[in-house]
Amino acid sequence: MFAFTYHRPDTLTQAVALLQTREEAKPLAGGQTLIATLKQRLAAPSDLVDLAALPDLRAISREDGRLVIGAMARHAEVEASPLVRACLPALAALAGLIGDPAVRNRGTLGGSIANNDPSADYPAACLALDATIITDRREIAAADFFTGLFETALEPDEIVIRVAFPLGGEGAYEKFRNPASRYAMAGVFIWRGEVAPGEALTGEILVRVAVTGAGQGGVFRWRDAETALAGAFCPAALEGLVPPADEMIEDIHGSGAYRAHLAGAMARRAVARLMVAGA
Amino acid sequence: MELTGAQRIEAPREAVWQALNDPDILRQCIPGCQELVQASATAFTARVTLKIGPVKASFSGAVTLSDLVPPHRYRITGEGQGGVAGFAKGGADVWLESEEDGATLLNYSAQAMVGGKIAQLGARLIDSTSRKLAGEFFSAFAEIVAPPPIPAPALPSEAAS
Repeated sequence: MFAFTYHRPDTLTQAVALLQTREEAKPLAGGQTLIATLKQRLAAPSDLVDLAALPDLRAISREDGRLVIGAMARHAEVEASPLVRACLPALAALAGLIGDPAVRNRGTLGGSIANNDPSADYPAACLALDATIITDRREIAAADFFTGLFETALEPDEIVIRVAFPLGGEGAYEKFRNPASRYAMAGVFIWRGEVAPGEALTGEILVRVAVTGAGQGGVFRWRDAETALAGAFCPAALEGLVPPADEMIEDIHGSGAYRAHLAGAMARRAVARLMVAGA
Repeated sequence: MELTGAQRIEAPREAVWQALNDPDILRQCIPGCQELVQASATAFTARVTLKIGPVKASFSGAVTLSDLVPPHRYRITGEGQGGVAGFAKGGADVWLESEEDGATLLNYSAQAMVGGKIAQLGARLIDSTSRKLAGEFFSAFAEIVAPPPIPAPALPSEAAS
């Protein structure tokens, strides 16, 4: 590890000020990616701004038809939260599938989405559930937040404080884990709901399909699958449908075609799970 | 890994060729390039900082042009050391074709190799990252050589005269 200056601010204002004034400061959430990177000397920030002492960033609450989760909530807390299990069981289940127990007890929701690793699980839930990412200065729709491989709409000094998930409808997440490291080789989050009352096409069935782990640009909405499922919501509607193989990640763990196949298979499993849950 | 592709550039082949040989333009197009100094007609030294997620590594190395057939094709190769992070080397065969309407088709066939720690940790991402970097290079290049509003900057025309 290279030397750095450690800060543990008590207020959001102090944290943002540190990020703005220090030469090359990085915010530290759960550290499950960043600390490993520092230990390998693959990054050398001048300052680390630990967000652990900031107040109210771990709370999970229900407000105005939304489930609001603090950015510093640990994966294990989301998994075990009675409120998340009751309102959005698929999200609690997803949190329980992330990494291993050590990662789940330290890793955070905010850290996961701010890093936007192409194999991270949470970005798929944010996209499929149409979440809103709330930062220290603005609100960003999930559709605008994830902008590419490890890239987000966040400014370098911007801090995610909460994520709001709209309630209503049902979701399911299916993931094919890398056998050694348990990250998603392909993970598919499917949400099915109705257009809210008062809007155009009220009562119409809506489907959103988000794929993580497979795409070269990170998480993406799989529109072809959404169209197919809007026509007939059953696994057979997706038979033979896969995302474009040349846009999938290709590495020693699997070819693009293999990952495209996995995405199709995980999508069909998620649909089957939703049909059982809905029956 | 292998990477092939083509990019249409709205400029005549001569202008594209000049730009491909202009260190100032290359510096602006190579993602993360902070310095590109010409050592001879075909050799450059470069300093490149790459930031991919939490990883940030600075590479210093050499860029060489070879197999030059102006204004048709050349090979560009680069090799850099990133200290503890490891090393990266890569090359691309680039060839130009004139389109009927006066634009130019820039074809490339590139190979990239990464070694050391950065390769162990980032194995699953090297392919995607290389594609992304190649994409950034060629879109920046197209933008500089054939910008929508104003024509190419002063330097390449100087080199052409």
